Amino acid sequence: MQRKPSTYLMSAVAAVLALIAPFCMPINIATEIVIFSIFALATYLLISVAGLYSFGQAAFFGVGGYIAGYLYINTDVPLFVGLLLAALGSAVAALVVGMMSIKRIGIYFMMLTFAFNQMIFYLAYSWHSVTGGEDGLGGIRRPDITIPGVGKIDLSNHVNFYVLCAVLFVVVFAGLYQMMRSPLGLVLSAAKQNMRRTDSLGFSVYRAQLLAFVVAGAASGVAGALFAMLYRIMPIDAISWHSSGTAVFMVIIGGMSSIFGPVIGAAIFIWLQGFFSLMWARWPLLFGVFIILVVLFLKGGAIELFDRVRRLVTGARGERSAP
Amino acid sequence: MISLLAAQLLNGLAIGMIYALTAFGLSIIKGLLNVPNFAHGAFYALGAYVCYAAMHAGMPFALALALSFIAPAVVGTVVEKLGVARLMNGPYLYQLLFLFGTALILEQLIIIVWGTVGLSVTPPEWLQGAFDLGFTYLPKYLAFNGLMAALTIAAVWLLIERTRLGSQIRAGIDKREMAQCLGIDVSRLITAGFALGTGLAGLSGGLVVPLLGANSTMGAEMLSIAFVVLVIGGLGSLYGALAAGILVGVIQSVSSVFAPSASTVLIYVAMVATLMIRPQGLFGER
Repeated sequence: MQRKPSTYLMSAVAAVLALIAPFCMPINIATEIVIFSIFALATYLLISVAGLYSFGQAAFFGVGGYIAGYLYINTDVPLFVGLLLAALGSAVAALVVGMMSIKRIGIYFMMLTFAFNQMIFYLAYSWHSVTGGEDGLGGIRRPDITIPGVGKIDLSNHVNFYVLCAVLFVVVFAGLYQMMRSPLGLVLSAAKQNMRRTDSLGFSVYRAQLLAFVVAGAASGVAGALFAMLYRIMPIDAISWHSSGTAVFMVIIGGMSSIFGPVIGAAIFIWLQGFFSLMWARWPLLFGVFIILVVLFLKGGAIELFDRVRRLVTGARGERSAP
Repeated sequence: MISLLAAQLLNGLAIGMIYALTAFGLSIIKGLLNVPNFAHGAFYALGAYVCYAAMHAGMPFALALALSFIAPAVVGTVVEKLGVARLMNGPYLYQLLFLFGTALILEQLIIIVWGTVGLSVTPPEWLQGAFDLGFTYLPKYLAFNGLMAALTIAAVWLLIERTRLGSQIRAGIDKREMAQCLGIDVSRLITAGFALGTGLAGLSGGLVVPLLGANSTMGAEMLSIAFVVLVIGGLGSLYGALAAGILVGVIQSVSSVFAPSASTVLIYVAMVATLMIRPQGLFGER
């Protein structure tokens, strides 16, 4: 078996990327990319590592966003308490949904995650007093970070807020990558290949998958909380099934063969969204066409594209990376 | 109060038949392709808007209904031929994203053509008014709606259970490779099944237009309801879809008397309860 690069190395690469990003593009775009990278990484853990095709990841993104938003509007909780509660809340939601869906495999699992996504969507939609319903939850503050002896860090400053998001991105990246290399990650990928055999070897596939589902839920919740703070509003669209589909799309478009795939995917999605929505109010139509073209002609996503270009440049003899 | 409840019960039955009809289409596609059709709601909305447009143009109601089946079925055939069939051999994640893209495109096209404002049509004259049942009134159109859905469901059931094409479809659902070996053209069958499924979704849309009107969120609402119906009824069971469709319709309709804002959430409560008591669904096999 091929040894995977160490977590330090990979996280360092992620950190360098996060450091360069704001110099290449407007800071808000970079912030959005970093936030959606966290969301895409969580989805990647489920789809590519564990083989759990969740089509309801936006539910946990939304739960995190609403919890953080509600707390920052109605209470004076410090930043990290709000983030922690958002992660905890979405982890609990993921635990409940996971317990009811994971034992159902394949297509049934996907349908259940979708149905639970819609359930949480309609809960948010009709619970107007807490979530703002159709109008979304507006006026979310970004609390200052107080560090004893250093002073206050004002998060309404875009650069400071980017740094917070980028740090959390690197932390989530390192955590998830370490998890994939750990025995737990091995059980997950073994179960992806052959669930029964893994089970009969004595590993509890169910518990491993449930744990992955809860971790992915918590990470999605953190992404949702940061997203709520970014534009100081938590829109109802962020929790809809379109958003879940987008998460799956980010994983595919980036390429499933590397953990950098979802990060690339998030960057591509944010740029596309910005580009298309400038052109036309009906931009999801263009997005739909783009998805169809990618699915039909570039199944391996951006990573496959790099590969193809490299092979074109170095001649047909260039070595192929693992599919 | 009794009269109101009875009226809501009848209303729930009729709407439930529509839910069952839509879920039927979803179930056929899911069975043949083994992929959930995430564009199903968009096809449902397409049927509704086609019916609206046809009636608005002065066409007779029967023709409008026929068009609300045919137009989505034709679009469904194209979608299947161009994309779904080509992605048949890969992992189903790609088919899924393809259908997601299709849903986005159809939804936006509908908004471009018909706008976001809700539209409504009146039922034809012979379906206006109501029957007096003594304890409550039954609007004629509601009765027609339930009856049409029931007849269509019966026709599809006969088609699947009693005809040669139907037995081939069932063979394709059970064992695709084996059916192929027996000389059945499975790829044509899948195209036919997809067209039938999307057509049924469209017909459901056409049927509800005189009742509920057409609006830009109807597709997403129906998509989730059809999934919930399949989960409650049990995957792969046509009876299950029928029973669960009616159950969901009645729950939604009756609960809207007591707690109008919670009626959408309540159907998910029913789903969770079903999953806890019978994880395979009411009529599903283990």
